[in-house]
Order: sequence, then structure tokens, then C-alpha cells
Amino acid sequence: MSDLPGYPNRRGFLKTSAASVALAGIAARAEAQADTVPPLDEYWPEYLDAAEWAFVMAACARLIPSEGDGPGAIEARVPVFIDRQLADYYGRADIWYMEGPHDPTAPPEFGWQTPLTPAELYRQAIPAFNAWCERTHGAAFPDLDPQAQDEALTALDEGETDLAPELSPFFTTLLNNTKEGYFADPIHGGNHGMQAWVYIGFPGARAAYREWAGRHNVQYPLGPVSISGERA
Amino acid sequence: MLTFLRILTALALIGIVVLLALIFVPVRLTQPTEQLAADWQPDPGHGEQVFHASDCVACHTAPGGMELAGGRGIESPLGTIWSTNITPDPETGIGGMTMDEFRAVMLDGIGRDGRHLYPAMPYENYRLMTERDLRALYAYLMNEVEPVRHEVEPTSLTFPFNMRFGLRAWNWLALSHDAGFTPQGRSEVMDRGQYLVEGPGHCAACHSPRNIFMAQDGVQASDANFLTGGVVDGWNAPSLRGEGAAPQRWPVGELAAYLATGRNAFSTANGEMGLVVAHSMQHLPDGDIFAIAAFLKGMDGAPVEEETAFAPPGPIAIEKPQADQAGEATAAMLTEAEPGMPLGARLYLDNCVACHFASGRGADGIFPKLQGNTLVLGSETGPLLSVILYGANVPGTEKRPMELVMQGYADRLSDEEVAELATFLRQAWGNDAPPVTPAEAAAERENPRATHH
Repeated sequence: MSDLPGYPNRRGFLKTSAASVALAGIAARAEAQADTVPPLDEYWPEYLDAAEWAFVMAACARLIPSEGDGPGAIEARVPVFIDRQLADYYGRADIWYMEGPHDPTAPPEFGWQTPLTPAELYRQAIPAFNAWCERTHGAAFPDLDPQAQDEALTALDEGETDLAPELSPFFTTLLNNTKEGYFADPIHGGNHGMQAWVYIGFPGARAAYREWAGRHNVQYPLGPVSISGERA
Repeated sequence: MLTFLRILTALALIGIVVLLALIFVPVRLTQPTEQLAADWQPDPGHGEQVFHASDCVACHTAPGGMELAGGRGIESPLGTIWSTNITPDPETGIGGMTMDEFRAVMLDGIGRDGRHLYPAMPYENYRLMTERDLRALYAYLMNEVEPVRHEVEPTSLTFPFNMRFGLRAWNWLALSHDAGFTPQGRSEVMDRGQYLVEGPGHCAACHSPRNIFMAQDGVQASDANFLTGGVVDGWNAPSLRGEGAAPQRWPVGELAAYLATGRNAFSTANGEMGLVVAHSMQHLPDGDIFAIAAFLKGMDGAPVEEETAFAPPGPIAIEKPQADQAGEATAAMLTEAEPGMPLGARLYLDNCVACHFASGRGADGIFPKLQGNTLVLGSETGPLLSVILYGANVPGTEKRPMELVMQGYADRLSDEEVAELATFLRQAWGNDAPPVTPAEAAAERENPRATHH
């Protein structure tokens, strides 16, 4: 029997469930101290409008999917991180050199090669990419099935959509922001309950392992701590 | 019944007579303890040294105010006592004060207008100063301090403490000791230390307990309770005597380093003692610092190796202190980092271990040891909670200019967590002090002490 596309197969489902049970206990402890946060579908974005929010939710869910090992971008509340960053000085490129010339064909070591700030990039690229999805796949990105979403993101990554040259960094930016939101300290809105840190065994902002410097190939047993003092 | 009334009447009459005597019998002022020639002049710099040793700045300078212009509020259980302007300004300060009037202030606690000073002014201790030092200090204040015109809020305590004649009765109890200094005679250096500690340094004002009349219980080295520890404004001024006391555990050189720089291999000077170092001790000549250290070390009769100089400044490598026997179990638990450890230990690992280490022994001259630390173990828990919540700041001194700063954790820890952490500190590495409650942490969070730097 073949599994339906986009739905977890039996083995994956069991693995995910086991991980969820394990994580649920940890997350509950961390949440007991952290401010209680609204569920994602009740979150009121600071920067993104409704269509943009729907896109970021859908795109993050494919970049770090919930099915499989470890928490997904949605469980880690990565969209909240991205929204808050875009509303802040990162989104405004406050501390970047933003004068031209900008050359979209320049290699990556030449830095940011679009006159748009990250916030402007999301604002212009999302409708353009949604329009491309409608022309190519018959629906805006959030309404596509996961397989079509993956194909669309792959096309975006490989520059095979018809986005304007100044929107060319969009996929790289989106992917980087998703990773950042997944692994950054929870104080920035993502990595909720330090789930990503627990998953990879990163002990967080404790920053004191002097006693362990000489211990090789021994697993450090203690869970992480966040900047605000959450424990897991 | 008649007998009873007679007794009552007699008592009332005696009371009235005593009261009238308190009010109307002229006060007899203490005479100079040494007759100096009228034209006696202090050596240059003498007055300034006495001034620093006496730490006049501590009380007579308001936070952010002009030096010695007064107006610092000294909280007492009876109300706020406002320190006076002791610059030589003729109208608002002590300009025009005669040497005899100055001596009356310093030895008897009696002001120019004949009114009794509140004993926030440590005349109990200044009473032991030599006539030469008083003359030198007088000359310094009159001639070398810039006059500052600054009207200070008058002290007005609530009844009956605003009846200053009552202080006269208090003085009969508190000033039973003769004026002038009586050396113990163990050595010239230790006698010098004794003088500085008893007299100008007025260490007993904080480090001696208070008796039921709130007078210092132990003003001189010959008194049984001298420097056996007191409580000032929510701070423990720890005992300087007895087996566990810091001066008895620390070598003379480390004690001297603590006084001159606010830091040594064991601890740092926080709160009120940090201010004493910043305002007073760091300005004393090295010889006086070592004299104080030698006297304190020898107070209980221990043999004293007199030292005379600080190590020359230069690069030093700080060894990582290992846990000692008493601290081994705690250090091992922290090192193993097992998730099942008590919450207080976990909080220590999450917040403190980077600087104070699993051994709880910190680093020489920078991070104080928490094992055996008097602030950690104090009967007053406020200072420890204050450091956890709001951090600490050890002032820079001429010899060790770097400020030592610890950040606070008020935003990171709840009251329950602060209490768990404080309790852990008070019971780890062989420490043995009662636990701290979340209510104490909440109280400290709500009313941060002014001296939490």
C-alpha cells in the first residue's frame, strides 16, 4: 500500500509521535515559566499582512517540515520570529549599507545585492511568487498541496520563476530566516520552548562548561537554558 | 494605700528633678587630652590623612551633592537624620567654629548651639582620637576644604526623639569611656592599627553590636564585644573576631588588600563596606592599612606577621581553585550536570557557574568565593538577595582601578527561583545557613536598597 502524497507514512507517523510525546513533557516545563503565547492561528502579526502571513506559514512548514525527526518550523513558531524581525531593524536594514550599485549577478561574498530592505523584499516577492504559482500550478502558494509547494520552492530556489531581478535573493533570505528562527534564542519569538536546541542537544545560554572541556565523547546530560531563563 | 501614694509622689518628684537637671544643668565639656602650644601646627598632609581615616565623606556628602556639603539622609529607626554641611561656609557650614567647639562635637557630641547631636555622628568613637589629630582635622576642614553654601534640611524626628535633652541621658550611658587613646602595647604597628580602628576609623559603629539603648556594645579593644558583629540598615557588618571571622582566616596581606582595594583572594567589598573602601580606606598610606590589618589579625591574641608592602602590580596568572573537602560533594554534583539535581543547583549552573565555578571558590581578586562568604551566610538575607536581583558593583581604587561589576538577575528569575538559588548558596560547599523564602525575595525586589551597587 502506498501512502498518500504529503501524508506521513506509518513509520514516520510513529517516529513523530514518539518525539512529540518526549517533547511535550519538556515543552510543558519550559512553558510553565515562559509567558503563555497565543496559538499561531491567533497570533496578530506585527509586520506581515494576512496573505503574507499565510505564505510565510506555508513556506516555513515546507522548509522545516513537522513530519520527520524533530520539531518543525511551525512547532518552533518560526513565522513569529520572521514577522518580528521584519518589523524591527533587521526588516528595515537599519544597520546595513544600502546605497548602490546593486548587481543581482554578483557572487554572494559581495553581500546584499538588492535596493530593497528585507521587509520590502518579502512585501514585493510574496505576491509575485503567489502569482507565478497561480499561473504555473493553478493556485496561490498556501493553497497548493505539499508536493506542488515543494516543486514551487525548488523552482524559486533555482531561479526558474519570473521574479524581477531585485527579488532574486528572496528564497535565500526566506530559507536563512527560517533557520535563524528555528535555532535563535526563544526571546526572539522562534525556537519555542527551545525545542530546536533540545533536538540537537545544544545546551543554550549557559556558557559555562569548563569542567567538561577535557571530557571527550561523553554526552553532556543537562538540557538547555534560554536568555530569559527558561529551562528544558 | 497612703504609703503607695507617697512612693508614687516621691518617684514623680525624682523624675521631675532628673528632667530639670537634664535640661538646665550645664553640660561639662571634655577637656583636651593633651596640652598643645597655641601655635602648634600640624605637618602638611596630616589633616588630610585624618580626614580620610575618619571617613567624613561617607555621611556628610549627599548622593550627587557637593563634597562635605551635607544633606545625606541617614535612615534610623527613629526617622531620617540629615547630615550637616561641614564645609567652612560661615552661614550654612562650620565656618567660624572654634577649635573648642569642634572638640565638643567630636568628643561629646555637642553642637555649637549647645544642642546634643544624634549619635549617627560617631562621637562615641571620635572621642578616642588624639588632640593632635583633632587639631589637624580642624585645620584641614577650615583651611583646605572649599566653603559650599548649602542649606541642609533640619533633622526632625518624631516625639519623644525630637527632645534632644534625652540624648544627654543617653550619653551618660554611652560615653562612659574616657576621651583619648589607650594603646594595648603589643607593638608600635599594632597600636597604630588599634588607634585607627577604635578612633577615626570608627569601625565599631557598624562592626560592634548595639546594646538595648542602641549604644555601641564594644567601643574599645578591651571591651568584650568589640567588633563582634552588628547589623546596619539591613546589612550584616560581620564579626571581625572569633574562629570563623574573615580577619582571623585571612593572611594579613590579604586583609590589607581587601581594605585598600575592595578585593582580595577571598572576597569583594560590597554595599556599605564598598563605600568605606572607596571613600576612606583606599586613601590611607600603606603603612596605616597594614597597621589596621595587623591589629585586626591579632585582636584575639593570634601571632601576627607584620607586613609592610603590597605586591608590585603586574601580570598574574590566576589558578583555577579546586573544591576543598567541604565543597567536594556540591562541586561534583554541579560538574556531573545531571538533570535530576535540585532546582537551586540547576539555577546556579544556569546563571552563576561561569564566574563562581562549580567549586564555589570564584577567582582571586575578581569573583568572590561563595563558600564561607559572610554576605552569603548573613543573618540578614537582604544583601544576598539584592546581589542576585540587582547585581553588585565593587568600586575601582587607585591601586586596582578596575570596577568589578556583576549583573542582576531580576528579569531572569522569579521570586521562587531567587529563593531557591539563595537557599542553595547558603547550604552548598559546606555552607550552613537557614533557607530563604520567596517572600523575602519579593520584599527585596520591591524595595531595592540604595547601596545595591
